[in-house]
This record gives sequence, C-alpha cells and structure tokens, in this order.
Amino acid sequence: MIDYNFDWGIIWQQPYGPLFLNGIKTTLILSACAWILAFCLGILVSVFRVSSSKPLRFFGATYVEVFRNIPLLVQVFFWYFAMPSLFPKPMELWLYDNISNLPFFLGILALAFYTSARVSEVFRSTLLSVPHGQYRAAYSTGLTPYKTYRFVVLPYAFRLSIPPLTTEFLSCFKNSALTMTIGVLEITGTTAYIESFTWRGLEVTTAASFSYLVITLCIIALMAFVEKKTRIAGMIHQAR
Amino acid sequence: MIEIKNVSLWLGDDFQVLKNVSTRFQKGRTTVICGPSGSGKSSLLRCINRLERFQKGEIIVDGLSVRDPKTDIYKLRKNVGMVFQHFDLYPHMTALDNITLAPQKVRCLSRQTAESKALQLLERVGIMDKANSFPAQLSGGQQQRVAIARSLAMEPKIMLFDEPTSALDPEMIGEVLDVMIDLALEGMTMIVVTHEMGFAKKVAQEIIFMDHGEIVEAKNTSDFFNHPDHPRTRDFLNRILSHV
Repeated sequence: MIDYNFDWGIIWQQPYGPLFLNGIKTTLILSACAWILAFCLGILVSVFRVSSSKPLRFFGATYVEVFRNIPLLVQVFFWYFAMPSLFPKPMELWLYDNISNLPFFLGILALAFYTSARVSEVFRSTLLSVPHGQYRAAYSTGLTPYKTYRFVVLPYAFRLSIPPLTTEFLSCFKNSALTMTIGVLEITGTTAYIESFTWRGLEVTTAASFSYLVITLCIIALMAFVEKKTRIAGMIHQAR
Repeated sequence: MIEIKNVSLWLGDDFQVLKNVSTRFQKGRTTVICGPSGSGKSSLLRCINRLERFQKGEIIVDGLSVRDPKTDIYKLRKNVGMVFQHFDLYPHMTALDNITLAPQKVRCLSRQTAESKALQLLERVGIMDKANSFPAQLSGGQQQRVAIARSLAMEPKIMLFDEPTSALDPEMIGEVLDVMIDLALEGMTMIVVTHEMGFAKKVAQEIIFMDHGEIVEAKNTSDFFNHPDHPRTRDFLNRILSHV
C-alpha cells in the first residue's frame, strides 16, 4: 500500500493554480520565440555551410560547432551570468535594473542559438540530398543563386526536413525547462517553486509532466498537418 | 553565334575531360554531338552556359565571353536554354509553375502573362491538359516535354539538349523528338548531344564526333554518315548503326 494522501486540489488552489497556468504560458511563449529564431538562423547557417564561399563555410562550421558542442545549461549560464558583464559597467547595471524579465529574453537567446545549430545540420543534410540537376536546371534559366535557393532548393529541402525538424521542435520545447536555472518561471521552475511551499512534489510534478505531454502531442499533430499540407502530389507514397 | 576556342577542362587535378576543343556553331543550325560515354560531350555543353567552369580557352556566346568574370552570366544564360537527360523538373511545382518560374523571376513578367505564355508552350508540346499536374504524375516523355517548354519560356536564342531521350522508354522517345524536330525546322539554333542517329540524319546540318575529350571529326551530315574519315568514327558508327 502507498502511504500517501493525494491532494490533487493543490494544483487548482489559489495562488498555485494561476501560477501554474502562468508557467505554461511562459513555456509556450519562450519556446515558440526560440523556435522561430532558431528556424530562421538555422536556414541561413545551413546555406552558408553548403555555399561555394570558403569564409562563409568556415563561419557556418564554427557557428554550428560552438553552439551544439557546449552543454545547453552552460550556454544558458553564459547568457545570463557572463554576457551582461561583457558590456561597460553602466550598461550592465542598466540591463539588470531596467529589463524586468531579462532572464526570459536571455533564455530565449540561449535556447535559440543552441537549437539553430542543430536545425542548420538538419537543413544541411537535406540540402545535400537535393539533386544537382535542380541547381543546373534553375541556373540554366538565368536564376541567381539566391533565387535558386529561395524558389527551388529550399522549398524542396524543407519538405524533406519536416520529420527531423519535428524532433528538433520537441527538443527545443522541452529544453526550455533549463531556463529555470536563471530564474525563469516556466513550467518546471513553477513546479519547483510550488513544491517548495507545499511539499506536494508528486502532484505538481505529475501536473508538469502531463502539461509537457499534452503540448508535445499538439506539436506532433501540428507538424503532421504541415507535412500533409506540403506533401508533393504523386511523389511520396501515401501511407495507408 | 557560339565560338569555342581551345577549351580545356579538368575535373580535379589530373582528370582532363576536354582537351583543347575548338569549334563554332552557327545561327539557325542544328548540330548533333555524338560519341561514346565519357567523351566529354555533356561537359562541353555545360561549359557553354558556365554550368561547368573550364580552366583554359574561351567560349563566346552571342558576343559575350563565358569565361570573363565581368560577363553578366545571368544575362547570357537567359539566351541559352538547356534540356537535361533526367528532365530535372522542380518536383514541388506543377508543370505550369515549372514553366512560369523563370519568366516571372528573371524576366519579371506578370503571373498572368507568364501563364498564358506557358499554356501556349504546353499546347505546342502537346500536353496542355497536364498544366496542373506535378512532375511525379507525368510520364518521362511528358516530363521532358514540360522541361523543353520550361526552357523555351525564356525565349532563348540557343537551345542545348543533353541526351534528352536517353532516360526515356522507347515508345516515348518519338514524342520528344517530334518537338525537337519542329523546333529545329523553325530555325532555332540547337546543339544536341544524342545517339538518335535518325534524328541527326533528319534535322542536323552538322555532326560532331567526340572521343576522349577531343573532337575527332566534324562534318556536314551527309558526309559524316557517308564518308567518315577517321577510323574511330567509322568504328562508332558501325556499332551504333548495326542495331537499326
């Protein structure tokens, strides 16, 4: 027998209920912003990595290796504890004093840069799988490299990227939990906070797990929808 | 129209694909380039619109130097259409969008103008009803005809064909060749890499035989078939014509 009196009501109770909902909202906004930023940066860096310019390739490779090889937790710490002190002292103080949700913004940046390195590797692998003939066909009609990527190569590569991108999207969302270490009250941070007041660890961590699960399932459904919408007629076999 | 002077092309450091190739292609004429695989035919074609950068020599297309870095290569390519062995249609676009992309993005035509032009071209290549099909829904012959329409949409002065029928089933070769024959008879300047000797006899004014990166023989069509000079040409002709 488990000798434990469950009190699920704690999750709805004042002030914990609204606090918890606020945590969910923070997680959603933070990871959505990080994802959008990571997606754009990822495309840009992946194109650098397959470009014919050596400096661009070098920049792209350095970017990827820096941001994917340092543990995300260290990167979060870097943005919050180290980055502001790189500014002149008055500016540093101004940052801490005037931007009330500084941890939130820096958390977005940390998560975005880390995720963008991984997203760019996903895009690079799909860019490399676009047949050479596509570039030749586009160039032969007078399209510039920029327009070739914009209208021919990227739309095709994007479709091939959707399954691995779904995984990265989910990771980005779940990794947002690490921002609790710099004081962002997202789902995990809020859970720890409520637990410390109520000693109801089992109930609140269960609620947190459940929230993560529901949101990830929504992301998966969203990506499946995008995959279906962008499917190329006649090309990919319809799953039955 | 196109002048090729002493062109040499290396892939990597020691593999020479083209060896000091010189020839010229005149306006309004159709030239067929044939030769065994690996002889540099396709590479020569790609050098003409700088899809391949050659290290030595010079190519002048309609007055523009291909090798000169100051040449606006996009302007040059606008005038040079190209059709590929594997069609290389954009798989995520309909046949119509494949054709209208470059006219809209390079020639800055409105969508409406580009589409009505594209429909005319599709009618000309005989697949008007496939305008809204995606490449994967078309047969090889239909795809190649869309690819030809895609090149023609830029209103090029020169058309390059790189083994346009080699990847097709035998019963589809005819429909593609018919389109090319019409084009040649209309006076398009064409350079065609192919082994379709029936096509060559019918429309080409000149035939070039290449082997090991060199032009072995270049002659007008009837001389080429009736009085080939070089033993390698004779050997090649014997082998490919024995099946006909």
